[in-house]
Amino acid sequence: MTASLPWILWLAANLALLLSTRNPIYLLLNLTGLFLTGNMLAQKRTQTSWVQQNLRFLLTMILLSTLINTLFSHTGATVLFSLPETWPLVGGDITLESMVYGAINGVIIGALYLTFNILNLALSIKQIIRLIPRAFYPAAMIVTVALTFFPSIQERAREIKEAQMIRGSKMKKVTDWLPILIPLLVTSLERAFLLSESMTSRGFHAHQESRHSRLAIVGLTLAAFCIFSGWVFTMYDYPKWVTFCLFGVGGSFFLILLILLGRQTRVTHFHQESWHIKDILGTVLFSSSLIVFIALRLSNQLESLSYSPYMALSPPTFQWGCLLFCASSLFPIFLKSND
Amino acid sequence: MIKIDSLTFQYPQTSQPALKNISLEIPSGSLTLVTGPTGSGKSTFLRCLNGLVPHFSGGTITGELQIFGHDPISEGTETISARVGFVFQEPEAQFLFDVVEDEIVFSLENAGMPREQMHVRVNQAIRQMGLEGIRNRNIHEISGGEKQKLAIASALVNLPDMLVLDEPTSQLDPASAKDLMTYITRLKRDLGLTVVVSEHRLERLLPFVDFIAYLTPDHTLHFGTPQEVLPEMAQVPPLIKIAKEMKITPLPLRVDDFPEYEYPAILREKGFPKSAPKQAQNPVLEINKLSASLGKQQVLDQVDLQLYPGEVLTLVGTNGAGKTTLLRSILGLIPSDGERYLLGEKMGAMDLENIIHQIGYLPQNPNDLLFAETVLDELQFTLKNHQKSMSDEALTVFLSKFGLAEMQNRYPRDLSVGERQRTALAAITVHKPGILLLDEPTRGMDYNAKRKLTNLLRDWRTKGKSILLVTHDVEFAAGLADRVLIIEHGKVRFTGSPGAAFSEFPGFETQTARLFPHSGWITAEDCLSQLKSEINLSKSPDQQS
Repeated sequence: MTASLPWILWLAANLALLLSTRNPIYLLLNLTGLFLTGNMLAQKRTQTSWVQQNLRFLLTMILLSTLINTLFSHTGATVLFSLPETWPLVGGDITLESMVYGAINGVIIGALYLTFNILNLALSIKQIIRLIPRAFYPAAMIVTVALTFFPSIQERAREIKEAQMIRGSKMKKVTDWLPILIPLLVTSLERAFLLSESMTSRGFHAHQESRHSRLAIVGLTLAAFCIFSGWVFTMYDYPKWVTFCLFGVGGSFFLILLILLGRQTRVTHFHQESWHIKDILGTVLFSSSLIVFIALRLSNQLESLSYSPYMALSPPTFQWGCLLFCASSLFPIFLKSND
Repeated sequence: MIKIDSLTFQYPQTSQPALKNISLEIPSGSLTLVTGPTGSGKSTFLRCLNGLVPHFSGGTITGELQIFGHDPISEGTETISARVGFVFQEPEAQFLFDVVEDEIVFSLENAGMPREQMHVRVNQAIRQMGLEGIRNRNIHEISGGEKQKLAIASALVNLPDMLVLDEPTSQLDPASAKDLMTYITRLKRDLGLTVVVSEHRLERLLPFVDFIAYLTPDHTLHFGTPQEVLPEMAQVPPLIKIAKEMKITPLPLRVDDFPEYEYPAILREKGFPKSAPKQAQNPVLEINKLSASLGKQQVLDQVDLQLYPGEVLTLVGTNGAGKTTLLRSILGLIPSDGERYLLGEKMGAMDLENIIHQIGYLPQNPNDLLFAETVLDELQFTLKNHQKSMSDEALTVFLSKFGLAEMQNRYPRDLSVGERQRTALAAITVHKPGILLLDEPTRGMDYNAKRKLTNLLRDWRTKGKSILLVTHDVEFAAGLADRVLIIEHGKVRFTGSPGAAFSEFPGFETQTARLFPHSGWITAEDCLSQLKSEINLSKSPDQQS
């Protein structure tokens, strides 16, 4: 699986799961799958310590999140000990439940990070940039330029630092960094200026009139208004169809705008992604899993997804069907391409 | 055809025009060299040709400009970019991507060209510039010459009528520069491209040139064939200098065009006069079997080097031979194997403070050093670093040796390339180190600035300073070197007299050495002083013609 579409669908499926469950069983299952998939991709790229690095990050996240939640949230039945009430914020009962809740949040944050990290491993920078809608072509261009710009500026920073060191600059105080920062800043500005000259000289922006710019502003405002009011309505007891309509109208406004603005930008791509049978399989698998998951979730058939340790700690419930969705993080391993 | 009629341009917030009343006509399919001293407006002139001036720079422009029937002033850079390919001075700074192929295809993707057509165009450009072997390589891994070819290929995919190149060979070693010019002339011949090139170092380009546009310091222009313009120019390469002195017409543009010259036997016997390595004393700097790697790649392999008091040791080599890495290893900026001795003491055990007390280091780019408000502050900063102090009066005297006394209160970055280079040099020598390591100090300098630098370095040499000079400007090196070290692929290939290095080592011969093989002359001065004194230019009539 090397094409970007199945990977994006995989990302969407995994994000949908992670953002809608707090069930520790499911989360741990999903996390295991993520580590196995990540390890496979990292080995392909000969990154040896990927698992250790990410495990360290995950544990840090869990620890931090547990600590914060335990200190600031004082609900829960199982009181471990109490801090004096006079202490601001942290004062109160320290409960087992808030610890568990914090730990679960930490796992979710870590898993979200891992999911994006794996996408980064699976796709090249070019593939990722191409996923940015065509309407935002200038933005995609900025990302590309920045990615090329940074290594060269880093190299310049090293040269400048060495030159100033040999000149006797000690670099102990903050002001000692001026001899490095000023040449670096000026060089970066000069480079940026030259780069824009170079892009202009090669016809960048030559074909882009801003015919739709006024339309874009009006459209975006309308779309944002609809989506926002839909969101406000969900918080009160309005009929569901009203909010659905608002979301629908706002969303389609946004899509139409993207297509219209995208059409305006005439950009083609030299490199074509090569699709293999495994890419098609992946696309079918992850899109159908995403659709089924959303459908089941909306019809409230997956009640075991929700879990709360409050008020008193209870064991999480379990549904066999959910297991399949959790394991989807693992599926890329079976769709591994052999090249 | 390019037609320019009384073009005058002035940058915003300046009192003087950068181009004054310029008129010329460049025929299609010709190669024009734009030259002139620093600040005469070469880059400005080139940028007029694709509309970057005035569209990007601002400023006021008057007069008329026609590029193949198009007017860049009214149509703007974006439109004219399809006709005029532009290659900037620093190839690295103009790249947007990190892969060769992606860089070439940028303007086509951006124009929304169908994929099949793009493939044809890209393959064609790659073939024209000989980049087949590196099309999928990372841009940071390819050589300087390849980078320039890539920049040209990126312009060629648009099928321009004209190619504008801003100092394309200034950062290349002699062999890569020659190779690049061969490709450019091939484009001119095969595609009928009109080429406009700017360059300081005429010796590299004259053999390929049809016309010269010479911008004078007062921003006016002489345009014509080399035979018409060269006599007007004060600063010319050695070949032209000798030919002018010997009153040879027409002026030979390449060494092979120089008439057969039978120089007196008395000179032929002398061999290499410039061979006085000062090895009587102990070396101030000694490097034994130094090896170093960058990443996984070995860059230096068992390099030996001795620097003696009061000598200029010149280190020459192709781009990527490991010259800068050698300087960095000597200073201990990168780890290396082997032994380094400074004034007889092992450098490995010394701390950086002691080393830099003795050694001044000038990086390739003088802008790396300059950050202060004034030239004087720049010097004060170095002195403060070394816990020394000097009065402003003493510093003014010191600066006058660099020709910078009047500029002491100017902002260093506003100065010309040559002045900036000398400011940087002053800043690294104000604490009076005995040893100087100079990395490509002539980058972007015109003949005049180079002459000033030569005089300054000669003066230091006579005062007993030791100078290790890294350069691929062989003409500059020949005028200065006491000894030469040539490195290739990280290995020392040659150590010896400049007479031998610059007349016998392939790729590094000076023009004079090629003109008078086995004479031992390597600079125009060597040749002219000998000719003047010993035969007093007594020529037979057939040499006059």
